[in-house]
Amino acid sequence: MDEKVGPSEMIVHLGPQHPMMPGPFRLNAKLRGETVVDSEVEMGWIHKGIEKILENKTYLQGITIVDRICYLAALTNEEAYVGCVEKLAGIEVPPRAQYIRVIMEELSRIQSHLLGMGEYASFVGFVSMFMYTIRDREDVMTLMDSVTGARVTHSFLRFGGVKDDLPEGFKDDVKRVFASLRKAVDSYEELYSSDEIYKSRTVGIGVLTAEVAKDIGVSGPPLRATGVAFDIRRDEPYLVYPDLDFKVCVQKAGDVYARVQVRLDEMRESMYIIEQCLDQIPDGPLFPEGTAYGRRTPVMRVPAGEVFHRVEDPRGEMGFYMISDGSDKPYRVKIRGPVYPTLQGLPPLIKGVRVADIVAIAGSMDTCTSEVDR
Amino acid sequence: MDANTMIDSLSTQFPDAIYDTKVESKIRIIAKVKPEIITDVCKYLKENLSFGHLCCEFGVDYPGRNEIEVVYVIGSYDHSVVLTLKAILPRDNPEIESVVPVFWNANWYERETYELFGVKYLNHPDLKPLVLPEDMLGEWPLRKDYKGFPNKTAKNLV
Repeated sequence: MDEKVGPSEMIVHLGPQHPMMPGPFRLNAKLRGETVVDSEVEMGWIHKGIEKILENKTYLQGITIVDRICYLAALTNEEAYVGCVEKLAGIEVPPRAQYIRVIMEELSRIQSHLLGMGEYASFVGFVSMFMYTIRDREDVMTLMDSVTGARVTHSFLRFGGVKDDLPEGFKDDVKRVFASLRKAVDSYEELYSSDEIYKSRTVGIGVLTAEVAKDIGVSGPPLRATGVAFDIRRDEPYLVYPDLDFKVCVQKAGDVYARVQVRLDEMRESMYIIEQCLDQIPDGPLFPEGTAYGRRTPVMRVPAGEVFHRVEDPRGEMGFYMISDGSDKPYRVKIRGPVYPTLQGLPPLIKGVRVADIVAIAGSMDTCTSEVDR
Repeated sequence: MDANTMIDSLSTQFPDAIYDTKVESKIRIIAKVKPEIITDVCKYLKENLSFGHLCCEFGVDYPGRNEIEVVYVIGSYDHSVVLTLKAILPRDNPEIESVVPVFWNANWYERETYELFGVKYLNHPDLKPLVLPEDMLGEWPLRKDYKGFPNKTAKNLV
């Protein structure tokens, strides 16, 4: 961004600490009156160097580190990381473990969407919505807690399987929670669609066309809100997704309202997936039989090679590129997060909008700074 | 179009610049590319083979071979083939043409590779550090011979 300001122009720094921010980053916006002329995103306040840390940890230790890339998507991050190692080492995951993984990852998608939507609603001045979603999210978190033993950073996946089986009575708990969650999602939709003030702030605001979204490299709900049915679960299936029936939720408009609608639909779709899994889940071992893989694989050497494995994160395409040199630690791990291109695309998207709409647009993207900085 | 046809089409178009091609599976291709014509290759991939989605771009350090690899992972919104392109640069003076004119989102990836590996991108619109503070420039922390703490940022503290 050009730092020079003309007459009746000024630069406003939003962040790095600001109530609207999902994490610390700085948005320098050049304004003319109330209109954004130009802007720039500055990153790096919480750069953790996870890619370097992973090079110095054994493969098993890495699982706890990748949890911390983004706490809302801990399980999908683990899936991408563990999937890389499984591809390199040629490990087959037994069906029961695959189903448990799908159940947990879809639960994690639901809770991520609930928090993302609540946060975003409070950005546009709809603070009571945040209270509703955070209440319902708590039920989902309790479900996840009952399986993994942790609320946020689960460290649940293992090479070739999962740490624990589903607890007794899990299916009934899910039934109970989903009955109320379905009603809640319906009521959110009702709240959003019936509120004229909310609609006037979101319909037609921050429109992302399919061409621009593809050019920027966006994936996940912001892309699907533009009408592009791009979903890794469908396009490059992993785990047992090919056996499950689900639709890729798509909207046409590409504005703030459509992005929220996609998340609402996806929550319903995720609940449907989990219910199918609970009906279909077979009995069996959690780890491949006759191998050394288990909850605590002591020292594990992975055959030399390289692999790119990607999964559908709550926010889009999460990919890990892993290079192994045959030792017990990865030689290089590249983490390709979905929010990285999304946040990069914020400046062109907010060009020409009013200041008050910046938070609506940025919030509807459901960004996670922790994942961008890694 | 399947992976084999794609890689054939690419090697026919650039017979001198594309080498060591390998079809790993139906959806994964690996190829090496001469760094001089990386933008032409990317443009061809985007326009003719609909590889329009740059998944990521990053560096890998090989001190033993005195090389730095710049890796481009390019996917597509239309098909599920992912192509890994590798350009090999000398470790002492790694320089490569920027692909920002072709893939808009390469901007941040290249800034990050610059600050972490010291790969200099020619004709990049705004080559400056992204995640690191300015005074760590020149440390190249993701290179394998980086000694870590204490580094330049900690100099004034200890």
